Amino acid sequence: MMELYSGYLEDPFNHLKPLCPNNMTSASTQFASSIRIGGMYDRENQITSVWNDSFQVDDSQATSPSMGDVKLDNTLDDVPNELLGSSKGYEHEASKPPEKVLRRLAQNREAARKSRLRKKAYIQQLESSRIKLAQLEQELNHARQQGVYIGGHLGESALGLTKAIIPGIAAFEIEYTHWVEEQNRQTRELKAAIQAQVSDIELHMLVESGMNHYENLFRIKAIAAKSDVFYIMSGIWRTSAERFFLWMGGFRPSELLKILVPQLEPLTEHQATQVNELKRSSQQAEHALSQGMEKLQETLSEALTMGPLAGPDVIVNNYMGQMANALGKLETLVSFVNQGDHLRQAALQQMYKILTTRQTARGLLVLGDYFQRLRALSSLWVARPREPS
Amino acid sequence: MHQAIPCSNTRAWPRPADLSAPPPLRHSGGVRQVVQDNPVVVVGRKGCCMSHVVRRLLLGLGVNPTAYEVPTEEEAAVAREVFGSGDVTFPVVFIGGKLLGGLDRLMAVHISGELVPILKAAGALWL
Repeated sequence: MMELYSGYLEDPFNHLKPLCPNNMTSASTQFASSIRIGGMYDRENQITSVWNDSFQVDDSQATSPSMGDVKLDNTLDDVPNELLGSSKGYEHEASKPPEKVLRRLAQNREAARKSRLRKKAYIQQLESSRIKLAQLEQELNHARQQGVYIGGHLGESALGLTKAIIPGIAAFEIEYTHWVEEQNRQTRELKAAIQAQVSDIELHMLVESGMNHYENLFRIKAIAAKSDVFYIMSGIWRTSAERFFLWMGGFRPSELLKILVPQLEPLTEHQATQVNELKRSSQQAEHALSQGMEKLQETLSEALTMGPLAGPDVIVNNYMGQMANALGKLETLVSFVNQGDHLRQAALQQMYKILTTRQTARGLLVLGDYFQRLRALSSLWVARPREPS
Repeated sequence: MHQAIPCSNTRAWPRPADLSAPPPLRHSGGVRQVVQDNPVVVVGRKGCCMSHVVRRLLLGLGVNPTAYEVPTEEEAAVAREVFGSGDVTFPVVFIGGKLLGGLDRLMAVHISGELVPILKAAGALWL
């Protein structure tokens, strides 16, 4: 993760990066060095002063900023050698007693080394804080969106309170977190197994685990939907990038198939036909469910409309009747979530039937990897540097 | 296709969205008769959105499903007539006079590619 943030960090000391080769790729180092060389001489910079002692040695040997980038890089590459005490740069010091010179060189080396270690620790701390901050921001957003339920609606039942108070949802959040961890682990395992070219029997076991794992997800979603269907429908329990693709409380099976199929080549002609049929069936089923959803919205709106004006008593009675009616209709949402997941499940199983074990293993790997990348994208998005407003 | 023209209809006029679907029946012969007379029958609650899903799916396949709407008070009676027990989740689909199942079953059968052959066998689909 360090590489990703290197461009963003205010780091006047990027020229030191060649000293820590394990951290940076040479490409990013060159890039960082060429744009940050100005900062090297920035005495105003607070961070500079912290590292000041490591630069006492550098000053006498450092080249001026007017040198070209390429030359500078070569010179910077030379710096470690000089810091590490090759004698060629220090000839003008020969007038002093050699022991003192040697001792001073050693002390400088030590100071520089400690300084580098401190810097490394400091940067790591900054980065983990940054990630933590991003996570907290995201949690806060979640809570805030849930918190919309609170406050202001007369006669709001207990179900309107935040997720922290609905035990079913709090439990789901925990279970889902574990689910994601387990999926990441399974994806890694699948990748290793496929690369190691393990036997079909071993692959079969991994595939079965993978299929069961998705079943688990649908199971916990169904339970959570009973507690709070809007929570599941909103996708708030997923990361932002995943939510972008939300349909019926999850991913659209036909879209996942589109992602999957190119990665599964080569397919036999028969397999290709079957997969295309599956894609079409899935789209038809999705369309039917979407239309059902629209109908629900229609009937719900109708159920809530004011209706003809009459005497005060009549209005009150109608209101309560309408509300009860509307509440009943909302229950249908639970069925929609379940049907969405049922469709996902059916599509997965059909793919399993069409493909060989090896192909299915690859398919599960592709899916698992895809979801992982979507989540990573969401984290990067949340943590991206923003212009100070 | 046998389709009884209803002499009385629960709906005053078909809404534009439903013009493609035949109006629902309340046949005097009971649900059993309807199921026998029509190749594809969707039995569901009045205004149920899941029934809508079932019908849209079948329509999308080129089938003209007959919709049998059950008012709430008659649900248990119809369930007993159809299944022999009062415990049933609507909607349910009959194809060729035989019970296929609910939306779950319909979806599963559709995804596995078995639905179209079943529909063809019942004479509900040509090509």
